Amino acid sequence: MKILVVDDSSLARKILIKELKKIEPSAQILEAENGAIAVEMFKNEKPAAVFLDLTMPVMDGYEALEHIMSLDPYAQVIIVSADIQPEARKKVLQIGAKNMCPKPINSEKMESIFMHDLII
Amino acid sequence: MKAIELNEDQIDALKEFMNVSIGAATSNVAELLDAFATMHIPKIVICNSDELIAVIQSEVDPKSKYYVIKQLFSGKFGGECMFVMKNSSAKNLGNYLYHIDNPSQDDINDAVIELTNILSSTLISRLTKELGVQVQFFVPSAQIVNSEDIIYAEDIQHYSKIIIISTVLEFKDQNIDGNIYILTKDEAINSLIELIDNKLEELYS
Repeated sequence: MKILVVDDSSLARKILIKELKKIEPSAQILEAENGAIAVEMFKNEKPAAVFLDLTMPVMDGYEALEHIMSLDPYAQVIIVSADIQPEARKKVLQIGAKNMCPKPINSEKMESIFMHDLII
Repeated sequence: MKAIELNEDQIDALKEFMNVSIGAATSNVAELLDAFATMHIPKIVICNSDELIAVIQSEVDPKSKYYVIKQLFSGKFGGECMFVMKNSSAKNLGNYLYHIDNPSQDDINDAVIELTNILSSTLISRLTKELGVQVQFFVPSAQIVNSEDIIYAEDIQHYSKIIIISTVLEFKDQNIDGNIYILTKDEAINSLIELIDNKLEELYS
């Protein structure tokens, strides 16, 4: 199973991957540092789930999410962002994200995502 | 004197801690304004103190007047949080918060100081929480100045290196925006590097 982790911060990606590996040790993790690369990787690799940041250079998470949802309306995208405004949450859920989690992500939050939001 | 430098990992980590802190601060201000803010990627610049004025001048309109609110904080990680807002933006903030067309100067002052208080205290508290330290805040000061007077040479004469961590607070629909700077200097930079390294070690262990 492939999981795509998208964040411009390598630290944020490492933290997320560390938590992902605790729950899905056999998952193949793909990494992208902005939305444009993520959309290309999504097209080519067809990951089972995407963990997507919002505030990124080149292409932000909102635009990347729109592209991904237009490529696959059933895509399983979880937004992981420092932006904790209710409007941001409403917007990404309207576009099609499965859930939105505030940074930094921890084991408890990751477990909850796999239990309630993702069908893998 | 040993050169103060942050490596790529340290800058990336500081940006990420700052990103989380800005998220919390933006959310609190958005709640105050009942409006949606666009978040921007933080910038980290390490410069000689004599370059600080030029760095800040490059981000302001030379013909405008600005509200400058400065708040010092001290502790293991000490420095200064500075919020710079164009006078026109401050008026829009006053209009928006008080629901009147022509807010008085006192109303605008109150609005700007209240917004800065929420912004800087949340931002610094969250950043220091990420770094695992506590700081003490001092009373903020506010003034309206010409763009060239945002930073005075005497403010920085005792320092050699300065880290500028900056971002933009932007409420597009309300035409309200401003630049946030965290300035930290000399010994505080070494403390900051040590705190980042400790945090990275903890995360990667």
